[in-house]
Amino acid sequence: MAKHPTPKLDELESGPWPSFVSDVKQEAANRLENPGKIEHQIPPDCPEDLLGVLELSYKDGETHWKHGGIVGVFGYGGGVIGRYCDQPEQFPAVAQFHTVRVNQPAAKYYNTKYLRALCDLWDKRGSGLTNMHGSTGDIVLLGTQTPQLEEIFFELTHEMDSDLGGSGSNLRTPECCLGTSRCEFSCFDTQDICRELTMAYQDELHRPAFPYKFKFKFDGCPNGCVAAIARADFSLIGTWKDDIRIDQSAVAAYVGGEFPPNAGAHSGRDWGKFDLQKEVVERCPSRCMAYDGAKLRIDNRECTRCMHCINVMPRALRIGLESGASVFVGAKAPVLDGAQMGSLLLPFVEVKPPYTEVKEIIEKIWDWWMEEGKNRERLGETIRRLSFQRLLDVVGLSPQAVHVREPRHNPYMFFKEEEVPGGFERDLQAHRARHKR
Amino acid sequence: MVFSSSGYNPEKPMENRISDIGPRDFEEFYPPVIARNKGKWLYHEILEPGLLVHVAESGEKVYTLRCGASRLMSVTHIREICDIADKYCDGHVRFTTRNNIEFMTDSEEKAKAMKADLAGRKFSGGSSKFPAGGTGAGISNIVHTQGWVHCHTPATDASGPVKAIMDEVFAEFGQMRLPAHLRISLACCINMCGAVHCSDIGLVGVHRKPPAVDHEWTGQLCEIPLAVAACPTGAVRPAKVEVNGGQVKSVAINKDRCMYCGNCFTMCPALPISDGVGDGIAVMVGGKVSNRIGTPQFSKVVVAYIPNEPPRWPTVTATVKKIVDAYAAHAKKYERIGEWIARIGWERFFSLTGLEFTHHLIDDFREPAYYTWRQTTQFKF
Amino acid sequence: MTEDQQKVVDFITGRSKTKFYFNDFLEVFPGRGPREVKKVLTGMVQEEILEFWSSGSTTMYGLKGAGKQGAAEGEV
Repeated sequence: MAKHPTPKLDELESGPWPSFVSDVKQEAANRLENPGKIEHQIPPDCPEDLLGVLELSYKDGETHWKHGGIVGVFGYGGGVIGRYCDQPEQFPAVAQFHTVRVNQPAAKYYNTKYLRALCDLWDKRGSGLTNMHGSTGDIVLLGTQTPQLEEIFFELTHEMDSDLGGSGSNLRTPECCLGTSRCEFSCFDTQDICRELTMAYQDELHRPAFPYKFKFKFDGCPNGCVAAIARADFSLIGTWKDDIRIDQSAVAAYVGGEFPPNAGAHSGRDWGKFDLQKEVVERCPSRCMAYDGAKLRIDNRECTRCMHCINVMPRALRIGLESGASVFVGAKAPVLDGAQMGSLLLPFVEVKPPYTEVKEIIEKIWDWWMEEGKNRERLGETIRRLSFQRLLDVVGLSPQAVHVREPRHNPYMFFKEEEVPGGFERDLQAHRARHKR
Repeated sequence: MVFSSSGYNPEKPMENRISDIGPRDFEEFYPPVIARNKGKWLYHEILEPGLLVHVAESGEKVYTLRCGASRLMSVTHIREICDIADKYCDGHVRFTTRNNIEFMTDSEEKAKAMKADLAGRKFSGGSSKFPAGGTGAGISNIVHTQGWVHCHTPATDASGPVKAIMDEVFAEFGQMRLPAHLRISLACCINMCGAVHCSDIGLVGVHRKPPAVDHEWTGQLCEIPLAVAACPTGAVRPAKVEVNGGQVKSVAINKDRCMYCGNCFTMCPALPISDGVGDGIAVMVGGKVSNRIGTPQFSKVVVAYIPNEPPRWPTVTATVKKIVDAYAAHAKKYERIGEWIARIGWERFFSLTGLEFTHHLIDDFREPAYYTWRQTTQFKF
Repeated sequence: MTEDQQKVVDFITGRSKTKFYFNDFLEVFPGRGPREVKKVLTGMVQEEILEFWSSGSTTMYGLKGAGKQGAAEGEV
């Protein structure tokens, strides 16, 4: 018998998509039965009270959570989000229900030994409910009480060799796509640099000293599976400088229908026979391809590496060998002056251990942003306020045409004094000799 | 409950403390076939919806079964995932950015057996535990935020609308018959901690009323300067107010400047932002993050407000379905929603979908607004 | 308490609010870079003079136990 009737939530148990309501109910039953004889350290009925609070929200159309200022464990400025229920008498088991962010292993590969240990920890010291994973990539352990925070951290660090993720004005938990581990498109080892920078910047991740949050994301290719260009203050997106590798016999196999185009991604509808000219050559955004019926040619100098042709014919076309990444900076969600996409800072950087060049750029940007950024100002907003030129100066880069989509629309340019012969000082005497007052 | 110590000594927090160790090394968790072939993959193919094969230079293959999941997940469910991974995948599993689960094995037979096994696993209410799909030209899992399950400023729930929408478009999760990928995401307020602003269809919770001010408690619960400083638009100012015949320190809200972000409520619990009547969902379309063919794009608002209709949000789900259906019927192969609209024009998008164009959809927020108005004689009647 | 630490405490106690952004402390140490100032603050957290407060999206520093919201949560 459920502790709280949940007629509204029950309607979310039907339908084919996995029902979180059924899953939370399953956990409620598991905790009640407690087959593993777990010594629950927070009220075992918290999944039921969570359903109760949620049902109330479904009735009221309003949340029943309050924020709390708790940040984490001793010495850390992030990793825990404090939550308090605003109906604690009705739902005492979730009166305190804090979130713990655990830094996920890069690209979210696990073995079951690790996951089971995590489950055991969260069965005992938390609600038994998680997010696999949060938006930024962390393992989110959903719901525990204040006295458990240090205990959880102690077990995470001592027994699971794991650490908390970021929150607040910290470096947030870096995230990457699976990169070269299982993808032929990846231009660099996204996981390795993600882990290397996570480890190198542990202090920034745990002890906040930034004006606001700062996110790193690493996409192995321009397809952008972790959405780095939309979300990260600093991102690397894989690219290459040399030629797309072509296997002409495989091209012929696609044309001849031996290989499924798009790696089968469009196989659910009859789009007609694969037409290389129409589907690849004419869809190429830079029109740098030609096919004469026997041979596919690419004018690589004109290619902008959009990935379309490679996505369509992965067995025939491969990324170049001189691969690395482009650096983008300043992406953010809309609050306040509108969303920003990452802007191209460096067209190409080698991405090889120990990643010295990348780290140098990051640290120059941080030093500048920490000095000049206003409170609660994302890097992208600081750049907008102080100009992209300032950023280039800070990083020590020369302006290039690739930095802009188009040159400025107005002639209100700032010239540096040293750019103008004689500087900004005027010779009034000489002027008056030429012009009467 | 008997307190069980982990070994932590609250008297001496620094004693025996381990910190700054970061996450576990990813290499510990690679399935052997991944470890052996990393960086040497030749190509991949989607054999059927949800089932991929990647082929390495060595000739080795890894079969990946991709399954949908609710991101709100119990340890009981994770343990079932572990049982599956132990049975078919030598104890390895991974999760994707879009909250899907990937089971990998080096044998096609095992992969197919696993797929058949998982297809039969249901939750008590009848929903699938592990629906296969989320590959190719279809709709993958919805990325989303916490909503009413755990957030203090949401204008809508997240898990509930996501479940309702995925039920509605479930056929497209398990098939690959759309013109291109279609990515849906949901953020439960405009702060968008889920960064849904570059999705084919983005749903975002919107408040429509400035916060209430609980004057009696403002001074007692909150530090006024912090509440004032929290407002990104400068709409909160200190004010003296009369309460029960006495003057108290509180705040006043400039209702014309407030854009309902809830940041002041974060700093001051006496400024509640949620409102059952005011809150709801806005619908955005046409964004993407991929650089394929067209460049990355922001999503644009096409429906300013739909009321919250728990538990199954019928108007939101119907609106999403309408957009998906119009796109599926009219877009050309390879066109993402935004690229389809760029070709046909926004006026045609509204006529094809039947969505109403309202004054809210004309940008009037600060400088970039001008660039969204039309400055050409080219348009469609 | 070191001279630097005392400066931080004086700065905080001289204000009407109890929570401060990291940037606010830069003015306490003119001419010293953010990284140096961070070391001072981190040391004060370790010595339990200061503590963090987080809105979830941003983090602030304050004297340990000070402020109103902590009390409202019944945690202090």
